[in-house]
Amino acid sequence: MGQVRAFVARFRGFFRARSIEDDFAAELESHIELHTENGMRAGLSRTEARRLALVRLGGAEQTRQSHRERRTLPWIESLIQDTRYGLRTLRRSPGFTITAVLTLALGIGACTAIFSLVNAVLIRSLPYGDASRLVYLFTPNPQFKLPAEIFGPAYADFFDLKKESRSFQDITAFDQSIFSLASQGAAERISAARVDGDFFSTFQSAPELGRVITADDNQPGHDKVAVISHALWQSMFAARADALRRSLSLNGTRYQIIGVMPRGFEYPHLSDLPYGNAQYKTTQVWIPLALTPQQKIDRETASANAVARLRPGVSIAQAQAEMSTIMARLDKLHVPQMRGWGALVENFVDSTVGHVRSLLWLLLGAVGIVLLIACGNAANLLLARAASRMRELGVRVALGAGRNRIIRQLLTEALLIGLTAGAIGVGFAFLFLRMLPRLDPGNIPRLREASLDTRVLLFTVGVSLLTSILTGILPALRVSRINLTEFLATTGSRSVAGAHTRVQSTLIVLESALVVVLLASSGLLIRSYVNVESVDTGFSQSTVTMNLGLDARYSQQRVAFFHNLFTRLEAIPGVQAVGAVNDLPLSNAEALCMFQVEGYPNQKGQLAEARLVTPQYFSAMSIPLVAGRFLTEDDLAGSGYLAIVNQSFVRKYFAGRNPIGGRINTDDDHPHWNTVVGVVGDVRHSSLEESPAPQIYLLNNGLPESYIAVRSTLQAKSLAASIRSTLHTIDPNLAVGDIQTMGDLVSDATARRRFQTSLLVVFAAIALFLALVGLYGLMAYSVSRRTREVGIRMALGAQRNDVLMLVLKKAAVLVGLGLGIGLIGAWFATRVLKSFLFGVDQHDPITILSVCALLAVCGLLAALIPARRAASIDPMQALRTE
Amino acid sequence: MGDKTDVWQGTLALMVLRTLESMGPQHGYGLARRIEQTSGDLLQLNYGTLYPALLKLEQEGFISSAWGTSENNRKAKFYELTKAGRRQLKKAAAEWNQTTAILARFLTTAEGA
Repeated sequence: MGQVRAFVARFRGFFRARSIEDDFAAELESHIELHTENGMRAGLSRTEARRLALVRLGGAEQTRQSHRERRTLPWIESLIQDTRYGLRTLRRSPGFTITAVLTLALGIGACTAIFSLVNAVLIRSLPYGDASRLVYLFTPNPQFKLPAEIFGPAYADFFDLKKESRSFQDITAFDQSIFSLASQGAAERISAARVDGDFFSTFQSAPELGRVITADDNQPGHDKVAVISHALWQSMFAARADALRRSLSLNGTRYQIIGVMPRGFEYPHLSDLPYGNAQYKTTQVWIPLALTPQQKIDRETASANAVARLRPGVSIAQAQAEMSTIMARLDKLHVPQMRGWGALVENFVDSTVGHVRSLLWLLLGAVGIVLLIACGNAANLLLARAASRMRELGVRVALGAGRNRIIRQLLTEALLIGLTAGAIGVGFAFLFLRMLPRLDPGNIPRLREASLDTRVLLFTVGVSLLTSILTGILPALRVSRINLTEFLATTGSRSVAGAHTRVQSTLIVLESALVVVLLASSGLLIRSYVNVESVDTGFSQSTVTMNLGLDARYSQQRVAFFHNLFTRLEAIPGVQAVGAVNDLPLSNAEALCMFQVEGYPNQKGQLAEARLVTPQYFSAMSIPLVAGRFLTEDDLAGSGYLAIVNQSFVRKYFAGRNPIGGRINTDDDHPHWNTVVGVVGDVRHSSLEESPAPQIYLLNNGLPESYIAVRSTLQAKSLAASIRSTLHTIDPNLAVGDIQTMGDLVSDATARRRFQTSLLVVFAAIALFLALVGLYGLMAYSVSRRTREVGIRMALGAQRNDVLMLVLKKAAVLVGLGLGIGLIGAWFATRVLKSFLFGVDQHDPITILSVCALLAVCGLLAALIPARRAASIDPMQALRTE
Repeated sequence: MGDKTDVWQGTLALMVLRTLESMGPQHGYGLARRIEQTSGDLLQLNYGTLYPALLKLEQEGFISSAWGTSENNRKAKFYELTKAGRRQLKKAAAEWNQTTAILARFLTTAEGA
């Protein structure tokens, strides 16, 4: 207790030092006076008495000093002294200070920026209560050879699971829909989730206003209610509370608004569901799922997304075991030819962010390397400066400064540099976050929520401290080993120069090695990106597409509607072809069908990508005809079922046969044979990075929900405007959504790759720049130190070229060593990169060679300036200055 | 070096507290003289060491100080025992007694053997 009090008193004493000092001086004076008087009473003279009093005191100054030490906390005082002294010396050499600070600021800024992404995406918890207990439930069926996450449980299975399982505290089923939302005369397409009564309680999310959807709302007749998002509340109702008395018109049906969710709750997002549809960016409206009694017992066709919250103490493995047991029983209730349904319980957080985890760690690793290089440079600068300050420091040691004090002094200076750099680095990171929306590939969850919050700032402070220690420790150790006698004998300016440059050269070699690793990695990513960009998509990128959904009013008149719409669209001057399809290529939606080919040894679970198209679709998308003929308007009227397949389909199922006239069955139960009339080119449907799968196109011109594709000579924007107004004249309640060119879809498909490649290239460029600055600095430093040596060499007959080569050779040795070590490092480091590469080997020789050439050329250029300076040394002057 | 001072400071603190208890408020010089006298002039105190000890006790809250006037009309700083100081004195005195008692036993046994 007394100790704590004493610490507080001493801490306060630090701020009141002056007044305490005066007070004590007075006390001491009174002490001496009392003692003197006492002595005089004993018969001594005043002078003698006072002398004796001082002797007995043990010296006035010594007493004052020991009192002072007890009074405050001496280490704070010396820290302040060090800081003041450090600031003064740093101010004295602004060139050095600015270079060191900016170098570190680049490294720390890059680290902070990437860490803010890691923080937003991976560390910050999801706003759904304890998100670590949320799980997705899937019912994979191995006979389809498809990713397990495609299979949400059928509704009948879902309700049985809900009834029988004991592992889950809450369990919910939901589905997604796109609606035309009528607002102020116009209509827009919005993403909605249709949810059961347990959806919001499973996510432990409460509304900001009103209430959420309950089980009662899911009863037929009570289901025309809607909960809206914060964003929609703001844009449609200007955030007014009376929104709860308003309603929404979705596809022409009115829904009473019952609640508003808080900002941040827009689940499900595009990137949340492992195989979600790309149309759904964020959810703006939640309405009741309101299943019909038929849907509730449907075990084969309709299925949902299922999310559950584990009971406290139940592990995923336990839930998995229970669900597997239940599904094993339920599987027997399915129709025999479809059986094989299993169970999969997957961690919600992992499945939301798992796919970007490795990317973010990769980026963090890359900026870590940048930071190391920056540290190396700053350490080199400090070393060089310590060498030129050897005299000052030596004198301080000679005057009795403790070595610890000197080390502390140098570390304080490094700390000042590191913390300033940290502050500037936060500025860099802020700029980066301002640019982030332009870099955002759109499929990294919550990337845009990245911000400089407390955790990020603490991270930055930590990194700055670590950086300061890393950069300060080498020079501090070096200086602390000053040999006093040697220093005094040599007047201290040349004695340790050799040893210095050895440490500095090692740092430069290591920096170059790290740069090689980064350059090789980004080189491989660039090659991969170029490869992806040059993939033949199979369609024209200028085709304009849009999404259109028809509501129930059109259920009997879809064919007529589309016929009318297409006729009007084709009449727009400049429009060349108009077609429609159920799912666009690269839209992240896939329709697969099982089929049999006549005359082929068909296997169970044979799948092809299926598309329902209008006859003009191929022309609108510029998909080339390879054999046979396209579909025509006449085929619509005809009675036969026709199909078009792609080249991959032909290669696999019509090998060595003429596909034209071949027959394909697409329905297991009621054979439904389609005659192949044409073969078209392969189209990249699901990904640019996977080779095209077999594809079947079937004719359909009456889809309730489809994409329209228009090929024209018009600008995308003006075409979109004409299409909108055409649609408006037909029916003002209909809206087209997602108007974009196929090029936009390709660009979206490569966005992630562009993001990772450009970031890594930028980091590699920063690293290269820093390493070159470091190399330049070291060469310039060693030339300035060797002025005398060069002077002697030249006086002895060395030519300017010899001197030039001398410097360049040294630089070449450093870069060469760095390259060698770096290549070994890159050999292992690029293994980590393997999953990020496309169409290029991880040890791609072209990349490796370019990296070597780039570093060699840049390195020699950086060394050339100091080399020329060395060559221009005037020997007479050089010899005279020493 | 540090250890020695601490031990010395510990005992010096105890002497100061005890002296203040028996004499009441006292200034630094008076304390020093009194301690010397009490020790029968066996203890040759370096008066300067007294002040850091006084400061420490004050920081710990065992004594308090105030400026006053001495018996012969000099301005001097007077130290006074606080409540916490009295408690501390009791505690420290008990500990010290115990320590000396134990040590005394050791020394007598060693002599006896």
